Amino acid sequence: MNALEIFRRHRDELCAAWVDAVFSTYELDTKGFLRTKKDPFLNPVGDMTQQCARFLYDAAAGEDLTDEQVRDGIARFVKLRAVQDYPASHGLGVLFLMKNILRGKLLPLFAQADMLPSYLEAESRLDTVALMAFDLYTRDRELVLEQRIKEIKNQHAQLVRWARTVDGGPVGGSGEPKL
Amino acid sequence: MAKLPTPQQLIASRPAFPKENWMDIKPEFKPGSYCYPAQKKTMEELHMPNPHDWDPSAEDWNLPENWEQILCDAFHDRLKKHRSLKLFMDICVRCGACADKCHFFLGTNDPKNMPVMRAELLRSLYRRDHTMLGKILGKKVGARGWDKDVVKELFYYAYQCTECRRCSLFCPYGIDTAEITAIVRELLHEVGLGIHWIMDPVKNCSFTGNHLGIQPHSFVEIVEMLADDCETITGIRPKTPFNEKGHEILFITPSGDVFADPGIYTFMGYLMLFHELDLDYTFSTYASEGGNFGSFTTFNMAKKLNAKMYAEAERLGAKWILGGECGHMWRVINQYMATYNGPAPSCMMDVPTSPITGTKFTNAAATKMVHITEFTADLIKHNKLNLDPSRNDHIITTFHDSCNPARGMGLLEEPRYVLKAVCNNFVEMPENTIREQTFCCGAGSGLNTEEIMELRMRSGMPRGNALRYVQEKYGVNHMACVCAIDRATLPPLADYWAPGVTVSGVHELVANALVMKGECKRTMDLRQEDLPNVTAEAEEE
Repeated sequence: MNALEIFRRHRDELCAAWVDAVFSTYELDTKGFLRTKKDPFLNPVGDMTQQCARFLYDAAAGEDLTDEQVRDGIARFVKLRAVQDYPASHGLGVLFLMKNILRGKLLPLFAQADMLPSYLEAESRLDTVALMAFDLYTRDRELVLEQRIKEIKNQHAQLVRWARTVDGGPVGGSGEPKL
Repeated sequence: MAKLPTPQQLIASRPAFPKENWMDIKPEFKPGSYCYPAQKKTMEELHMPNPHDWDPSAEDWNLPENWEQILCDAFHDRLKKHRSLKLFMDICVRCGACADKCHFFLGTNDPKNMPVMRAELLRSLYRRDHTMLGKILGKKVGARGWDKDVVKELFYYAYQCTECRRCSLFCPYGIDTAEITAIVRELLHEVGLGIHWIMDPVKNCSFTGNHLGIQPHSFVEIVEMLADDCETITGIRPKTPFNEKGHEILFITPSGDVFADPGIYTFMGYLMLFHELDLDYTFSTYASEGGNFGSFTTFNMAKKLNAKMYAEAERLGAKWILGGECGHMWRVINQYMATYNGPAPSCMMDVPTSPITGTKFTNAAATKMVHITEFTADLIKHNKLNLDPSRNDHIITTFHDSCNPARGMGLLEEPRYVLKAVCNNFVEMPENTIREQTFCCGAGSGLNTEEIMELRMRSGMPRGNALRYVQEKYGVNHMACVCAIDRATLPPLADYWAPGVTVSGVHELVANALVMKGECKRTMDLRQEDLPNVTAEAEEE
């Protein structure tokens, strides 16, 4: 059995374990609902976490995925983590919970099959996904701040435009809009 | 040797079972988690009780000396005044049907954002002073007394509720948690606690007519500028009648649409439509804000701001009011107007009637106020508009049901009817996120302020998530809505969750498709962006 086959055989079980580990970081009263509601629109946090689990695991396993596919697969979850009320280490740290899960279940199997280098490669791929997530996370945080600035500008857009047409006005005017 | 924490330790998973009772867990006030407080001067000018300087992140909120007595008395007073509140306090069985229906809970995962728990914050106080069991057994039956931390907790969660009423839809007892939030906000105002982004517009609407406090002459000049833009696009300059007596219709819309992008394009849409119809109407600078910011404050304030619309209609001799695309204006009109200020002035028409089609809007007989999409849908139904929907062919649009028109007045079909007539490509979002079940934009009821942008991104996440779905699946690149707050709050939400989707009012799209008599060849849409498929043809001409 090759490395990929070992990963595939345990995919559902280990994805579920990671999802459960992420849910366990939420309050007890919240966790139950996240686990039981299946509708992607009524339980978006659960859906985003499930989707991320699949891509995180498949990327680590070495499935044939492009960078773009992995980025798209984890993007929604990272967006969520970027605006949840956590420090960045907590926001993205949950990705590393997968390592412990893999070590607990797959490392002994790989060791037994004398395939430790393959296992280490999988962990390195996990690190790569985490770095990709870091890029997305940073972009998302910047986006939130951009939205704040944009909103302030938009709220008064016509007022500023009008003020520029007023001679002697606070932003200077020559009778013509200066946009 | 240095000992670094493991990722697990950094994340600090919660204990298997909470150590503390929910009453003992206090919210943390840090930047981004609360709105800026209202200024003392603003509260004084509005004659609000106990105006004072305070800072939500400070330990001491400088509450008046007898704050507890004030709150107890005010709560007692509200229980006597609103039978619904007493009922809501008594009948909840904590079944949890509402719990996962709240966008704030879905986004923040904070259990106290479950509507049942948010209401429990007040209900626990009710139990101590107004139920026998609570008086005797206290905390054992979920009763607690007032203390300053409880006041802080009420403030924290009352401003993490947009009063959207999605939870009420699922409550088997019909408990309206939005009204509970409204009462909590009202109680907090009794001890001088309000937020800037609500109270400042309330002050401005009270004194100058619009939410930014722009003087009437400047307001008119800005509208004139928008009329100039219409002329640039169509070659026709629409009329802009202001404060004129003797017209049949008084038109009132949110002033945000005069000042803010992208609301201005909806406003331009109104100007063009009314000009094309040669409608007998006027604007008012006195009643130039339809949005009732008072409804986020106290019932009395809402009543006052609602009254000026009718006072102005009476002064100008209008027979009925046509209302623009607004959210809470319509909730106040449909749910509270008759109690606040009814009946409408007797000089107004018995039943508002369209001067173009003769249709009688019997649904508006009490309020004398017709929604613009009802009016336009009727025009389209009677084939009174010359429309070219192909001008919107570059748009694949969906429709966001704004909470107040959808759940507060049942306006579900008319906007869709209009949209389908002016756009060839219309796609619905998933059915459990639209119509009565619509998800809030995440920033209604006065929470559309930039200092809580991050909070808004998570509370608006369920809406953003549904939008992203139709964007990916059907190529949706546009979202229409009928609320000025939506037009302000959905663009950042879309930029974050579904980048590439633009937001507009319905009447921006109507005006894009409207073929006006004598107009020049349209090469631009209302945003003065080139219309695809038209430009090349026009250049040849």
